[in-house]
Amino acid sequence: MLTYIVRRLIAAVLILFGASFLVYILTAYSGDPLADLRQSNAPNREQLIQQRIDLLDLDVPPILRYFSWVSGAVRCVVPFALTCDLGNSVTGIEVTQLLGRAMGQTIMLVTAATILAIVIGITLGIVTALRQYSGLDYGVTFMAFLFFSLPVFWVAVLLKEFGAIGFNNFLSEPDISFFATMVCGLVGAFLFYLSTSGSLKRRLLWTAIGFVFAFGLIWFLDLTGWFLTPGFGPIVVALLSVGIAYGVTLLTAGLKNRKALYSSLIVVAIGIVAYFAVQPLLDRATLLMVVLLGVATVLVGLVVGYFMGGYDKRQNMTAAGLTAFLMGFLILLDRFMQAWPSYFNNNRVNGRPIATIGASTPNLEGDFWVRGLDTYTHLLLPTIALMLISLAGYSRYSRASMLEIMNQDYIRTARAKGLGERTVVMRHAFRNALIPLATLVAFDIGALIGGAIITEQVFAFSGMGQLFVQALGRQDLNPVMGVFLITGIVALVFNLVADLVYSVLDPRVRVKA
Amino acid sequence: MRFGRTSKAVGVAAIAALALSACAESGGGEDPGTGGEGEASGGAVTVAEVNPFTSFNSDSATGNVDINGKVSYLTHQDFYYVNDALEVIRNEEFGTYEVTSEDPLTVEYTINEGVAWSDGEPVDAGDLLLSWAVQSGYFDDENPDAETGTTYFAYAGATDGLGLTGLPEISEDGRTMTLEYTEPYADYEIAFGILDTPAHVVATGGGLADEDALVELIQTAPAGDPESPEDRPDLQAVAEYWNTAFDTTTLPSDPALYLSNGPYIVQDMTPDQSMTLVRNEDYAWGPEPALDEITIRYIGDANAQVQALQNGEVDIVQPQASADTLASLEAIDGIQILEGEELSFDHIDLNYSGVFEDENVRRAFMYTIPRDSIVESVIGPLDPEAEPRNSQIFDIGTDGYDAAVPVNGSQEFAEPNIDMAKELLAGATPEVRIMYNADNPNRVDAYTLIAESAEQAGFTVVDGGLPGNEWGSALGGGTYDATIFGWVSPGVGVNGVPQLYGCDSASNFNGFCDEEAQAAMDELIVTIDPAEQQELQIVVDTRLFETGYGLPLFQSIGINAADEAVQGLTFNPGLVGVWWNFWEWSVA
Repeated sequence: MLTYIVRRLIAAVLILFGASFLVYILTAYSGDPLADLRQSNAPNREQLIQQRIDLLDLDVPPILRYFSWVSGAVRCVVPFALTCDLGNSVTGIEVTQLLGRAMGQTIMLVTAATILAIVIGITLGIVTALRQYSGLDYGVTFMAFLFFSLPVFWVAVLLKEFGAIGFNNFLSEPDISFFATMVCGLVGAFLFYLSTSGSLKRRLLWTAIGFVFAFGLIWFLDLTGWFLTPGFGPIVVALLSVGIAYGVTLLTAGLKNRKALYSSLIVVAIGIVAYFAVQPLLDRATLLMVVLLGVATVLVGLVVGYFMGGYDKRQNMTAAGLTAFLMGFLILLDRFMQAWPSYFNNNRVNGRPIATIGASTPNLEGDFWVRGLDTYTHLLLPTIALMLISLAGYSRYSRASMLEIMNQDYIRTARAKGLGERTVVMRHAFRNALIPLATLVAFDIGALIGGAIITEQVFAFSGMGQLFVQALGRQDLNPVMGVFLITGIVALVFNLVADLVYSVLDPRVRVKA
Repeated sequence: MRFGRTSKAVGVAAIAALALSACAESGGGEDPGTGGEGEASGGAVTVAEVNPFTSFNSDSATGNVDINGKVSYLTHQDFYYVNDALEVIRNEEFGTYEVTSEDPLTVEYTINEGVAWSDGEPVDAGDLLLSWAVQSGYFDDENPDAETGTTYFAYAGATDGLGLTGLPEISEDGRTMTLEYTEPYADYEIAFGILDTPAHVVATGGGLADEDALVELIQTAPAGDPESPEDRPDLQAVAEYWNTAFDTTTLPSDPALYLSNGPYIVQDMTPDQSMTLVRNEDYAWGPEPALDEITIRYIGDANAQVQALQNGEVDIVQPQASADTLASLEAIDGIQILEGEELSFDHIDLNYSGVFEDENVRRAFMYTIPRDSIVESVIGPLDPEAEPRNSQIFDIGTDGYDAAVPVNGSQEFAEPNIDMAKELLAGATPEVRIMYNADNPNRVDAYTLIAESAEQAGFTVVDGGLPGNEWGSALGGGTYDATIFGWVSPGVGVNGVPQLYGCDSASNFNGFCDEEAQAAMDELIVTIDPAEQQELQIVVDTRLFETGYGLPLFQSIGINAADEAVQGLTFNPGLVGVWWNFWEWSVA
């Protein structure tokens, strides 16, 4: 195993050298760095050209320039050297500093989208596999491919037009017409129709319920002015949490496991008390506090599950811990919603909360909740745009993988020995279906750092993609190589991680040294 | 000692509560709605800019980016500024300058009493001398051929003007500097300005004791001589500091690096995202701005700028002009659109050699150029009333342009005249190779229309279009007979004229060399009277048309847009764009 890793790492270093040489030379010959100055009629044109030649070392042939770059870059990799030198950009800023900031922006932009795409994509894939060739399956497949084939700049522009400008206009006078409410009801009905199965009568009944639910919800929200002063309140939190408790128990332990169900319900009861208890504390929240509270919440769930005892404490603990976590999330969400009016009416936001550009509102002053909402309103649209496009990959892969697994012999064996459908799907099929996805996820996390060039451009984020493209346009080689170095290293490392993870997850695969 | 389970639990809970309140936000419960300067009387605007800010020294080679110059314009005051009609306007509340003698040309600069940097240090002798030292290149002794010597200050501007001056005299009180030119210099008015960088900061940063030491150093060090370069470590350290210390994308922890002597001062910077400027409270030497706060946000994408304006995130946008951008702006309610001619203009130049050596062939070709159709197809979508540019030298909208156009001979080429071209060619079918940037759709359009029209007169046109990364280096290389490309007018000053049209000058790619024009230009660069300058420029302009230099095609169109609530904006073709009169902006 160790020799395998060492061998892979040595190969990675060689690949990096080769690839960086190629990229350097290709970039150096890709354009004319003096193009704008050549058609300049400034009196000091010659002097400006000379200055740029000095800045970019244009009088040295690219091949030699590469070696001078590499001699600085190598020191970044040598441990304990502490003299990392990736050079400066044309504007005199250190590339290491540029990279650090760009990575931060990119990670902020893509993380939520990637996690959501993985979770939602896999869920959709599993569900559609279990309901193969149903209306739901066709519907999800159609939508996934539709989103997959949309160009991201167009999606982004549409999202801004309707999700930001349109929605903000709506918020200035939040009245939903009867017609719009009706449309929402019909959409709800259609979704319910797609996701139910069974006899036609049963499906039509659910469709009706779906219509009433969606129509009623929108009507109620409109009536209570919820869009301007959103919030759950303790009652909705309690109701939703009980629902979560049942759902989580159903998936993790089965409702027959009464100990697990009761642990979850006890956690919900504690949560209701905590809801009132933590409100004053939350008014002065910091990120650290919220994280600590989150950890405490999960611990409470685990402890409750542990003390419920029974033949399988682990199931109790999983169910209660998950319930506690999700309920804590609800309470957090509720608190964010309480802060909405003060964010909405902030003079920097001026009643137009959903943003189309950047990562934050400049000069916004406010507490943890207001700043949190600010991040949310800025990240909402780019996250949706990126997520929609990457949903397809995950849902299709996981669907295929799940279908294959469900036809395996050991699934038939599990059914034959009398296991319930829940156990078969959750314990035997689901886990194994995730193994091939581990590779995919590892690659995607590696690709995360590379940035999303177009999305960054449209939403005015200055991440890795923009750093790369703009430096390329200016023929500014140092930032280009900096971005390449980071993405290259991350890609190689995650490639290795993917292989190792695969061998750990699937005992049939062995790494041969 | 033994504790019961309950008391243990209570203890744990108490410790937890303590720990949590320890990480609570201090002073919490603050009402966020009332924060911010935006509610003060003067109001605030947010302006979108394409490039992110990178340096507080916009005069240096690395800091020479448009946005740095604009921020410098907001945070610095100077002896003059350029208005939207491209006129030099003096700023007498900051300081004065006057010509005290015309032979030799002597200009006296005086900074008014009380003018100071935002740390209280007066703007005086050190700043005058440092500005002069940088802008004159006085100490540079680099000899590029022998690879000896040093260029100390990496100054991005031209040093040929102040390069004609000797070490200036400074008055006793340090507020007056007298520059003496060895020969008259036409653009003396815009040759000197106070730099972004305070002399006392540069002095201490460069390892000197104080500003007086810098004054001493500049006054005593001998002028640079490329023939016998010498090492000057003190000056080298100061120059090194000036070249690099002010480049930053974050707000420096040392306020000395972003001192202001103008209406605004930088308050906050978010790298690559935004910058906030607030009033400089000490400032009282120039027009007082109405706005309390200006926020600049960097948005590269034109469409993103338009949507941000529509969503109220920014109040003023300056997107790259295109028909699409204009259409989407026109679809928005409640905004004002400012449009106008920019300083860059496209032109077709004919070589004075090869097939075009004969003046008749050049003129014949010029008669075939369909300038109206080119304007209509390239900038018609942006401005249906746009007209071709009728002068090589003057920019549309200036006095000089109006004076030159009736007399410079451009009217002869107002419409294509195929018959005249045929007559001049007398049956010949010269082969003309036209070089242009084939990656620029506007140039391709222009080429297509020109080629089509020229072939009607009997020319054989060869498409010499080159990719975007190659055409620039082909300029002046003699591989073509005509070329279509763009130039950016400086807007003010006459120094650019001989740069383009002087015999054998660096940017003269087609070999134009005319005795009469050359004589006029030789006189032009030593003439300081604006009226005489205009006369001489008209002489050159006329000779360009008469000898068949080629034709100017059109000036590009620029677009700015703003929320209707922002008042006082006008379109400005100059360097600082819409910012030129920021002190007149107000929010209704």
